[in-house]
Amino acid sequence: MALIELRDVTKSYKRDAIEIPVLEQVSITVPEGDFLGLMGPSGSGKSTLLNLLAGIDRPSRGTIRIGGTEITSLSERALAAWRARHIGFIFQLYNLIPVLTAFENVELPLLLTSLTKKQRRDHVMTALGIVGIADREKHYPRQLSGGQEQRVAIARAIVTDPTLLLADEPTGDLDAKSAAEVLTLLQRLNQEYKKTIVMVTHDPHAAERATHVLHLEKGTLVEQAAAAR
Amino acid sequence: MKFIGLIFKSARRSKRRTALTMISVALAVFLFAALRSVLDGFAAVSAASSAQRLVTIRSTSMIFSMPTSHTEAIRSTAGVTDVTWANWFGGIYKDPKNFFGQFAVDPESYLRMYPEVILTPEEKEAFLADRTGCIVGDGLAKKYGWQLGDRVVLQPGIPVYGSLDYPFTIRGIYKAGSSAVDNQSMLFHWKYADERSSPQGQVGWVVTRVADPEQATQVIAAIDQRFANSPYETKTETEQAFSAQFASMLGNLNLLLGSVALAVVLSTLFVAGNTMAMSVRERTTEIAVMRTLGFRALTIFLLVVGEGLLVAVVGGAMGAALARVVVNAEFLGLAGGFIPLFGVNNWNVVVGIGLSVLIGVLAAVIPATMASRLRIVDALRRVA
Repeated sequence: MALIELRDVTKSYKRDAIEIPVLEQVSITVPEGDFLGLMGPSGSGKSTLLNLLAGIDRPSRGTIRIGGTEITSLSERALAAWRARHIGFIFQLYNLIPVLTAFENVELPLLLTSLTKKQRRDHVMTALGIVGIADREKHYPRQLSGGQEQRVAIARAIVTDPTLLLADEPTGDLDAKSAAEVLTLLQRLNQEYKKTIVMVTHDPHAAERATHVLHLEKGTLVEQAAAAR
Repeated sequence: MKFIGLIFKSARRSKRRTALTMISVALAVFLFAALRSVLDGFAAVSAASSAQRLVTIRSTSMIFSMPTSHTEAIRSTAGVTDVTWANWFGGIYKDPKNFFGQFAVDPESYLRMYPEVILTPEEKEAFLADRTGCIVGDGLAKKYGWQLGDRVVLQPGIPVYGSLDYPFTIRGIYKAGSSAVDNQSMLFHWKYADERSSPQGQVGWVVTRVADPEQATQVIAAIDQRFANSPYETKTETEQAFSAQFASMLGNLNLLLGSVALAVVLSTLFVAGNTMAMSVRERTTEIAVMRTLGFRALTIFLLVVGEGLLVAVVGGAMGAALARVVVNAEFLGLAGGFIPLFGVNNWNVVVGIGLSVLIGVLAAVIPATMASRLRIVDALRRVA
């Protein structure tokens, strides 16, 4: 069953009077439970595609349907609620809030739910447990290594049990060992917890962990490789 | 409620900046409450002044005296039911810094004229019977730790009272029944001061009670007319106008103090607004991340306004509390005489804190709007 359906998605930005095309007529279908890798050189449009899937940007043309919801037609307010419920986003630079502890960072998306304080605590500790960093719940981001920060960021992304996990170069700022750990963790989330993941990466080693890899170049899909594993 | 912790954490992001902003709001509220309390003090005296009492002074200035014969002349004026008089003594108690009002009064008629000076019958009797006795306000007694029967020695501060010390015995500690009298003054027998004065038989001002406040204007005219073209011309006013003139001696106090307060509040508003804007600019990525997580634009707006409010209200509460402790006549040692009893009352505190709420909200509105309108993708790209 398809979780993500992109139909003829085009995105362009306006710089002064000039229109700069970023994505052109991209159509993708991603089944539920897939781990999709998006590769391509800088400026190929892969991060833009991820932003469109996350509902933090809107296409110029085309439709995006995720889990049966056509997000391109949602209002800003409805889109925010949809993101809170369905999207877990992992950033390259982790983007943890520096004044919050690991626990509080992970709890952040749960503040938008109607869960009680105790329920929120249970969810946060479960998420921190899954990423193997429960013992660092009281640490602030500055007290964690890059790999640990990214684990906290992953815990924040999964704490609401979202429909779709989106990762934008999640290993781009990590050393090889931490990168491998993070990729293993993502693979585990995909295989054990059946999370659908779309990961943007430059790194062919990282892409190898995905079940499918798509290549973007100059805003168009140039290759669709299915890696049978 | 669950966002309160987030607001607190955000406000503590830059402790020094938050502390400085709080202090600037605290100073603004402190100044506002202090200025308000002084104005309220003058207003309260005016409001509590009796409509039945008139005050007569020399037309040139109240620092000049007039003969006691004026009191009898005034008493015989139609519409006058009672008369009393008083002199400013201006003595020094141990040190010139120990300033408080000291009035030589005609005891019996003065207490009759001012029922707001509340004494027990025993104290009143003891005071009337002792020519060197005095009564002091309970605030003044508390300040100097005076008890009934204590001896207080004043050194004359005005040459007309000679150079020898004036010993007094405290025969009563009065309470002020209204703002028309203060509880920081000392009253004693006019005769005691007069017998050592040169020249003798002089009074500073005469207080008159009229039968009908409606006729006050006619009585005022009649009194001043009586002394017109004499060496001691007079100026008579209602007690209310007399009280108000002390405020007007300082110019248009309301306008002056109001302008100062407004300037302080406005500059604080700009300082707080700039600080909030700076804080929001620094957090562009965080705000974009929160929006990505599903925080609505309105929630972000309210979080920023909440942070502005928190900083401003804590600052405002600090300023109001400080003003409450420091700004009162007793604490500053300014009470008595013609300076009204003033202090930061509950209303001043409420208005001061209300002002800080206003500063907090207004200062945060623009940064909060900036934060809530942030385009997520642009904000993330700016840093990445």
